[in-house]
Amino acid sequence: MTILGIETSCDETAAALIEERRGRFRVLKSVVASQIKIHEQYGGVVPEVAARNHLITLLPVIAKTLGKTIPDVIAVTAGPGLVTSLLVGVQTARTLSYIWKRPLVAVNHIEGHVYANFVGENSKFQIPNSNAKNKADANFVGENSKFQIPNSKVRFPAVVLIVSGGHTELVFMKGHGQYELLGRTRDDAAGEAFDKGAKVLGLGYPGGPAIAKAAESGDPKKYDFPRPLLGSGDANFSFSGLKTSLLYRVRDMRAAKVRFTKKTTTDLAASYQQAIVDVLVAKTTHTARERSVRTVLGCGGVMANTLLRQSLNTRLSQQGVYFSVPPINLCTDNAVMIAAAGALKARRKEFTSWNAVDAMSQWEIA
Amino acid sequence: MKLETFSRRRRIKIIGGAHQKNFVADSDAATQNIAAEFALTLKGGEVIALYGDLGAGKTTFVKGLAKALGVTEVVTSPTFVLMNVYRAHSKQISRLVHIDCYRLERAGQLAEIGGDEYFGNSDTVVAIEWPERVNTVLPKDAIRIEFNLE
Repeated sequence: MTILGIETSCDETAAALIEERRGRFRVLKSVVASQIKIHEQYGGVVPEVAARNHLITLLPVIAKTLGKTIPDVIAVTAGPGLVTSLLVGVQTARTLSYIWKRPLVAVNHIEGHVYANFVGENSKFQIPNSNAKNKADANFVGENSKFQIPNSKVRFPAVVLIVSGGHTELVFMKGHGQYELLGRTRDDAAGEAFDKGAKVLGLGYPGGPAIAKAAESGDPKKYDFPRPLLGSGDANFSFSGLKTSLLYRVRDMRAAKVRFTKKTTTDLAASYQQAIVDVLVAKTTHTARERSVRTVLGCGGVMANTLLRQSLNTRLSQQGVYFSVPPINLCTDNAVMIAAAGALKARRKEFTSWNAVDAMSQWEIA
Repeated sequence: MKLETFSRRRRIKIIGGAHQKNFVADSDAATQNIAAEFALTLKGGEVIALYGDLGAGKTTFVKGLAKALGVTEVVTSPTFVLMNVYRAHSKQISRLVHIDCYRLERAGQLAEIGGDEYFGNSDTVVAIEWPERVNTVLPKDAIRIEFNLE
């Protein structure tokens, strides 16, 4: 069974073609038209977040993904996300479903992130081409890969940590497709804390990689930042106060005429990153213990952060818990994960008719 | 270096609508109380433009507004998703739209995300963060709220 995945829920326009055989996945092609390079030219603010951009990019991305193949199943992100952006993917998918007479699967974007864990640790994707200068030569990623053995070390039930620009959630996963929301951010997502922290420190966009890079040469213990809700005993997060404390700290230092050397910035970045990572790690390990699970799955764009990956791996393995995390290029938004989650639903015949599928901007997985 | 975090005061200035008022809030809770009091003056159809720097209290204010309008969901930052639509349970107001223009850079993009469709609906209140990015397309009678850290 071949599955076309389509993803337009946020900034990335992506399509992927995967083949599923008895629960094993093989990635035939993955194309992500990344907009990050374009964003940088505009001084750190995302200029083209609008649906119009997906409209321009999606058909060429799908054409490049499919070549002459007509897939057996079409999987599309139907939510959560910005409704006008989601609609571009959904309308395209329902049209293709109608024309090709192929069944359609509506995929939850967050469930897609979870399923990036099941595509396989060793798929040979390229890191997106960072030299792309404009949309015309946007980052087309993809390469043939061998059939991947699905993540066989995963044991259900599992705890899932989803961390991205828009989400910070802990979910209890009883089995494939079965979720229970345990906790989430009460204000800002972890990715937003990185982005806005980078803005305060003048480190540019995207904030996650910018802070991580600056933090490499900084002292994570130099500045004391709060660890919000660390001891709250539940699985909820809060990052708004942490962002504000960085802002106040920088403001106070400027007012006190502290000279901002490169070292000051790298120390602030390292300390700030450490605070975010500490909270995510503590909450996740606590939840894993409380739920007595043997597996934790990490996913979402912030999971590309090296300190977070390493810290979770270290702490969870000390607890005897297996930590699964997708390769970095499958952590950020892509369509392979949508196709993979779609394949599972297709196996279960959870199809939606082309004329019934709709964008659901606030679709919760649990 | 130990940091004092939440004791900072913020000044909140409301211009337009039934309010012409200045407030001082010394905590997030106080900010939400001011928002709740302000919510009592809303009739539906208002567009509220929230001006202020990062960390000035805009989202905190909207949290208080939402609570007072009977929104039961947790109000989270719309920076990344750009727009959240909540079901409200107040007399005439059944919808609260929370828009964040932080990532926008042209006024026209507000229409592209579908945000302006909610302006002036009598059952809807729209709260907009970083409205300076879309000033030219804001309704003339938008209520202006300014947040400043002391």
